[in-house]
Amino acid sequence: MELGIFTIGDVTSDPSNGTTVSENQRIKNTVEIAKKAEEVGLDVFATGQHHNPPFVAPANPPVLLANIAAQTEKLRLSTATTLITTTDPVRIAEDYSYAQHLSDGRISLIMGRGNTGPVYPWFGKDIRSGIPLAVENYNLLYRLWREKNIDWEGKFRTPLNGFTVTPTPLDDVPPFVWHGSIRSPEIAEQAAYYGDGFFHNNIFWPMSHTARMVQLYRQRYEYYGHGAAHQAIVGLGGQVFMRKNSQDAVNEFRPYFDNAPVYGHGPSLEDFSTQTPLTVGSPQQVIERTLSFRDWAGDYQRQLFLIDHAGLPQKTVLEQLDLLGEEVVPVLRKEFAKDRPADVPDAPIHESLVIRHSEGRDPIPGGGPGSRAYADRQAKAAEQSETQGADR
Amino acid sequence: MRILSITTSLSEDSTTLKLSNKIIAAAASAAEAAGLSAETDHINVRNLSSDLTDMALTGFRSENLEAAFAQVAEAEVIVTVAPVYKVAPVGLHTLFWQLIDEKALASKPVLIGSTGGTPRHSLAGENVLRPMLSYLKGIVVPTTVFAATDDWGSIEGGRSLNARIAQASEELIGLAASLNGAGADSSAGPADEGDDTDTASTTTGEFGRRGARRNPSIDDEFDPELITPFAQLLEG
Repeated sequence: MELGIFTIGDVTSDPSNGTTVSENQRIKNTVEIAKKAEEVGLDVFATGQHHNPPFVAPANPPVLLANIAAQTEKLRLSTATTLITTTDPVRIAEDYSYAQHLSDGRISLIMGRGNTGPVYPWFGKDIRSGIPLAVENYNLLYRLWREKNIDWEGKFRTPLNGFTVTPTPLDDVPPFVWHGSIRSPEIAEQAAYYGDGFFHNNIFWPMSHTARMVQLYRQRYEYYGHGAAHQAIVGLGGQVFMRKNSQDAVNEFRPYFDNAPVYGHGPSLEDFSTQTPLTVGSPQQVIERTLSFRDWAGDYQRQLFLIDHAGLPQKTVLEQLDLLGEEVVPVLRKEFAKDRPADVPDAPIHESLVIRHSEGRDPIPGGGPGSRAYADRQAKAAEQSETQGADR
Repeated sequence: MRILSITTSLSEDSTTLKLSNKIIAAAASAAEAAGLSAETDHINVRNLSSDLTDMALTGFRSENLEAAFAQVAEAEVIVTVAPVYKVAPVGLHTLFWQLIDEKALASKPVLIGSTGGTPRHSLAGENVLRPMLSYLKGIVVPTTVFAATDDWGSIEGGRSLNARIAQASEELIGLAASLNGAGADSSAGPADEGDDTDTASTTTGEFGRRGARRNPSIDDEFDPELITPFAQLLEG
């Protein structure tokens, strides 16, 4: 189980005193947060990719991740979104390969389609093609990381002739990829098809909805023969604010909640806490809530918390990290391990992926022999050749 | 036949609620007269007001709202009644229809009812709701029912209101009955397409085609058996 944090890099005024940190300060704070995450014993730091205010999450996350990699030893670094729709897959392949080398394999990615429509034209893309772009671009990225001298053509970018990515991935094993989506079944299907991970940010939507998407991914993962449904690679987000005394947490967090980007000035903190995974309270409450995710998501592999948004002061964020590291994460590690079936895989990391690759156990996109998907394809092909025979 | 009213009754005993009750009763008796058993239910949008504004702001549905939208999906006939404010049905009411799933009313007969202070508001429901409900693929019956203060206060007004209600209800139930009949015919058709969409056992080759055709408000888009296979997405 990987436990960590993810940031959306928003620059939001602190509603308690009206001050706003500069972009420079927010960026430096983000690096400090990541270093602190390692110090308190978290596994992962993940960053979003944004191109619009009020966000200063990097437009190209490997810049930030490489900087953090240089200042940390063990911390795994991930994107919380890599915009697979509007970022050229060739650039993604090269930049993340490079960051993977620099960080000795500590890089993973969560693919996403972004938070705002206008970003598409900024990068010369058609806003109406979100899903088709995600589908074509990832397919190219997947190949770029695994094949040399590629000939390729598609709808959304110029063709490639005899192209090879430089640098090629570390040990010929690409960074692990998760596919993130809040509500598109196509993306859960995409993750399942490739045998990649599926990540749900699990912040704004009711858990019943998230559960259905996770369930869909798990069942399709099994269909494509990458493992049983309960062995699929699931990641969840979550949002917490803690103080030793739970009423202190509620009182302190309320103004930040009420003015937060996205859901501020809407539902009450109480309603939102009931309907979504947001947990404001004591570390014990956060532990109980987080452990309950397993009841509807099954045994899963990655849990990331959002802790640094809505204008919370840096000092407060660092205190949250202390609480996570001292009181929450050690208990979660122990409790998540309890009753976890032995055949449920850990979160994939570079070392385990190298072994998998060397043993020839890499997932086969679309399902290899022995999978239901493969059998269905065979049956369909047989049916078609029969029909063609009858036509002649 | 399940008849559902979506009514925005802003006070406890509003004329809008009265009108809604009258229409529902008339529709139920029209159904029974046609030999159909009628089951009626009622949603007051007032009780969903916070849920609707929250959904507009955050994008997610509360359990209450989820349940209300599911009720719409399950109903066979819809009656929608709201008071008119400034020449349009009150915004809370339109918000309900603006936030429900696309195609939520596919193949459902819908009757528009409105209330207002004076007869000058009588076409407000036509102008605002008819296009909105048509956009949701509802089949709105030609007669709409508008009740002004006068209609509740005079003998003539009351009679003519009752006549409009009876007329609209008959159109509503007549349409519902003929649509039900048409549905039964097509499911018995030689291509067998009408009822195979209801079976869970499918072959892979077919369910992508079905996935594209199914109505997302009624079908579960997260059902693994109905999803468009990725290979098909990849082909574009």
